[in-house]
Amino acid sequence: MKALGALAVPLIFVLAIALLQAFYIVREDQQVIITQFGKPVGQPVVEPGLKFKLPFVQKAQTFDKRFLEWQGDADELPTRDKVLIFVDVYARWRISDALLFYQRLKDERGAQSRLDDILDGETRNAIARHDLVEVIRTTNRSPEQDEATPEEEFEEIETGREAIRKEILAASQPRTSDLGIEILDVQFRRINYGDDRTKEAVYKRMISERQRIADLYRSEGQGEAQRILGEMDRELKRIESEAYREAETIRGRADAEATEIYAQAYNQSADSRQFYEFLKTMETFESTIDKETWLMLSTESDFYKFLQGSR
Amino acid sequence: MNEVKFPSGGNVEMPDFGKALKRGAGGLRFVLLGILALILLLNSFYTINTEEVGIILRLGKYRGPETDAGPGLHFKIPLIDRVEKVPIERQLKAEFGFRTEEAAVRSRFSEETDEANMLTGDKNAAVVEWVVQYRIIDAYKYKFRVRNVDITFRDMSEAVMRRVVGDRTVNEVVTIGRGEIERQVEQELQALCDQYETGIRVDQVVLQNSAPPDPVKPAFNEVNQAEQDRDTLINEAQAQYNRVIPRAEGQASQAIEQAEGYALNRVNRSQGDAARFSSLYAEYRKAPEVTRKRLYLETMSTVLPNVGRKLVVDDSIEGLVPLLEMQQIAPAAARARTQEQGGGQ
Repeated sequence: MKALGALAVPLIFVLAIALLQAFYIVREDQQVIITQFGKPVGQPVVEPGLKFKLPFVQKAQTFDKRFLEWQGDADELPTRDKVLIFVDVYARWRISDALLFYQRLKDERGAQSRLDDILDGETRNAIARHDLVEVIRTTNRSPEQDEATPEEEFEEIETGREAIRKEILAASQPRTSDLGIEILDVQFRRINYGDDRTKEAVYKRMISERQRIADLYRSEGQGEAQRILGEMDRELKRIESEAYREAETIRGRADAEATEIYAQAYNQSADSRQFYEFLKTMETFESTIDKETWLMLSTESDFYKFLQGSR
Repeated sequence: MNEVKFPSGGNVEMPDFGKALKRGAGGLRFVLLGILALILLLNSFYTINTEEVGIILRLGKYRGPETDAGPGLHFKIPLIDRVEKVPIERQLKAEFGFRTEEAAVRSRFSEETDEANMLTGDKNAAVVEWVVQYRIIDAYKYKFRVRNVDITFRDMSEAVMRRVVGDRTVNEVVTIGRGEIERQVEQELQALCDQYETGIRVDQVVLQNSAPPDPVKPAFNEVNQAEQDRDTLINEAQAQYNRVIPRAEGQASQAIEQAEGYALNRVNRSQGDAARFSSLYAEYRKAPEVTRKRLYLETMSTVLPNVGRKLVVDDSIEGLVPLLEMQQIAPAAARARTQEQGGGQ
């Protein structure tokens, strides 16, 4: 009993370890390949759950099943029109064939390094094939205008950012297929002007652009103000002259009417004309003769005769 | 592999193992069993907070959304079930171009210039800061489809924002196109989230600050200033117009009214004059000679008293003019003489 007990303990211990060695768990986000003395056996296990393998002889190599990151080496690259831009690319990939992946690359570190070679290279090629504007813009949409600012227009693009991105993706995908890797997506994360000289030049251009707009605003303001003042002058002249015309017309009509009335009254007969002349002369005497006047009465004058006659 | 170790060790092996030790220490067996039981017990319960959902992996396998655990206290098979908690009800927020250092009534922020600098479609540069509010709507995808979802989500957001901004003028980015940018980024980011199976729903993209780069800012301000100047100039001209024209119109109607007044006056007076003349003439015709004489004399009698000097001159007298001049000169000569005498003294 004692001897059996003493034997049982190590036996059970070995059995337990064997049991532990025989089972392994594949998690929902994992895939596993089984190797026997370093040589892969069978197909990769992608279904999650509790799995069985030969203890001690076989080893489980676990790989990720999810979308994995790749971050490009952000670098300054020249475009076709010789502008140095800073391009930062990211990609998402996954291990599509764990067996192939294990054979070709062994682990993720190997994969990252191969992806660096492929994607950085393709990015460099794609950027060098296109002008800057093609890398920035996606579509040929026309910019939204606000009625205050002067009309802005874009340069026409032929390819565009999306198409270049797809170019990189399409060029990279076949190069990774025999590595057990599937590149799912490549995106430009950041694009910026590279060196300080380029930035300075861009800032300078932006400043001059804005100044152009500012000048335009100012001259627009002056022009509009002048126009308003001109309109004011014209309006003023119109108002004044129209008023003058109307006033003079009214006066003229009144004068004419008065003349007619006078004529009707004075022009009744030769006798009335004479009488009018006489009356007017008398009135004129009254209004013209005052203290400063010297009156010389000739002895021949009517008045004197009149005086003599009445004596 | 680690997960399997304990259950098999605990359930199968331990009683026998204990028996073997029994001789050495009887009490130790119970202590060990007790500790083991306690560990298992503690491992059997877990709580899910209100904003979370628990995803259960049984031996690494997910058995569908109906096994998800809602908020509350739950039981699981110890060491076999694994629980992943995902905050699906919480609204999450990612900041780009800046970081909230300390959220308070007056929050503090720091800038992340590399994240914020981007190029616009007219080859200009802009600084854009934004926030994405999102929620995890599929906890399973969020956990098991993408590794480091948060980093991936940030990368996607930056890529999409730059793509959208790259299709716009700097003017649109800084002023008029902001709402449009938010909408488009939201849409495209959601599409990308779906493509990557992140299980994330983008609730809202909010542009915080979108400005030209610092060295260019003064020039942009100058444009604003110029816009103001333009409006000021126009307003001033308009004001002058408004000051002058109504007054001129008033003056014009005044002139016309005055003319009307003149006309009335003229016509009325002429009618008056005519009426007076007609009446007078009617009387005159009855006795012309007498009336003429009477009028003449009446006039003379009013006029003559007012005359300064009256001379009656006979026609036969000649050289009257020198005589008149003497009359004027005489006083002046007299004055001259007295002056000479005064000078002699």
